[in-house]
Amino acid sequence: MKFTPRHPGTNVNVSPTHPLKEFAVLAGGLLALTVVVYLVLGLAVDLLVPRISMELEKKLAGAFMQRFNAAGNESDTSRYLQGLVDRIQQQCTNLPYTITIHVQPSDAINAAALPGGHIIVFSGLLAEMQSENELIFVLAHELGHYAHRDHLRGIGRALVLMSASTVLMGANNSISNMIGQGVTLTELNFSRSQEIRADTFALETLVCHYGNTAGATDFFRKIPKAADPGRFGHYFASHPENRRRIDHLENLIRQRGYPIGTPTPLPMDLSLPKTNP
Amino acid sequence: MIDLIVFLTLLALGYGAGTWAEKRHYRSIVAREQATLNLPAVTMKSAHIAENKIRSARMVRGSAVISVDYFKRILAGLRNIFGGKVKSYESLMDRARREALLRMKAMAGDATIIVNVRIETAAIGKQSKRKNISCLEAMAYGTALTVEE
Repeated sequence: MKFTPRHPGTNVNVSPTHPLKEFAVLAGGLLALTVVVYLVLGLAVDLLVPRISMELEKKLAGAFMQRFNAAGNESDTSRYLQGLVDRIQQQCTNLPYTITIHVQPSDAINAAALPGGHIIVFSGLLAEMQSENELIFVLAHELGHYAHRDHLRGIGRALVLMSASTVLMGANNSISNMIGQGVTLTELNFSRSQEIRADTFALETLVCHYGNTAGATDFFRKIPKAADPGRFGHYFASHPENRRRIDHLENLIRQRGYPIGTPTPLPMDLSLPKTNP
Repeated sequence: MIDLIVFLTLLALGYGAGTWAEKRHYRSIVAREQATLNLPAVTMKSAHIAENKIRSARMVRGSAVISVDYFKRILAGLRNIFGGKVKSYESLMDRARREALLRMKAMAGDATIIVNVRIETAAIGKQSKRKNISCLEAMAYGTALTVEE
């Protein structure tokens, strides 16, 4: 056997594919996959919401409630609000939820219904309140979202991911906590029909509690003075939207012949006590 | 957003620097392989050389440690999702092994032939706490024989 020194010339051990091309194909594939998952999650929300048990919902709540560790919950304001909600729950609504009120210091003129019966009331909203009726209307509106389980749909795709991770890994796992932190409360989306239904629910609650409809439409008449209607959350979607909701409430009052009545004043100043910096 | 900018910068840097280093390395590998063609390195245990002709026999070895660049690692990470040939690591293995062989030949100096050549590879940085150091070592070793003319 004679040895002939020779260089092989070609390299069979390295694929000739250009790495950038490979990167484009793989990254594109991953992106496409993500888009598909996102779309499927959107469709999955409506299928999932009716199947979420109270128990699972309570577990989901943990991920959201990390942010609200008793913020302002020991004030007279929150105790008063809690009392109001407990009263309307007992007398009128009887939802299968344990409703807990959390007062959150914020400029937002909004309230949010979170999973597990936690209602976040932003202090900006309390500052705008002029009567107890108005306040009850707002709280009952949130209760209305619970009654129709809108609060779960409002979280949308995040809910699907959170439910999946909670079922697989138990309550308060890192994934659902991360998503829970990421959901901005002022951006919970409700459709027009969901808001209308919650308004109807709130009006009925108001009539049940006071026997009249005083204060029902007051809140919607507050045109934002500041140039930032975003602070109003789902209470002030846009001018025409607002107009429609007021009309809807007034029509209901006329159709059902609800008495108008006079509003009950608030028993106390609801603005949060100033904390010393 | 900042994270994304950092990521893309690292990706571009990894691709640029990695490609440049690789091309340069391959040029050097090919040149040195041509220069050492006349020193055969074979896996046979013996080369049928009469024992009285062998002036010296000694162990020679060469090893090279090659690192992954950021771009290649991301590409391999994407491969980890979809499966398939990890093409981005192929060139690293190839470079490390050829470099090890060349260093072994360099150690053999003016030997006539290197017999019983073996190549070992090892991943480095697997045990490190932050799993972001990944490189591989290839070591070639064999017996260099110097034969009387």
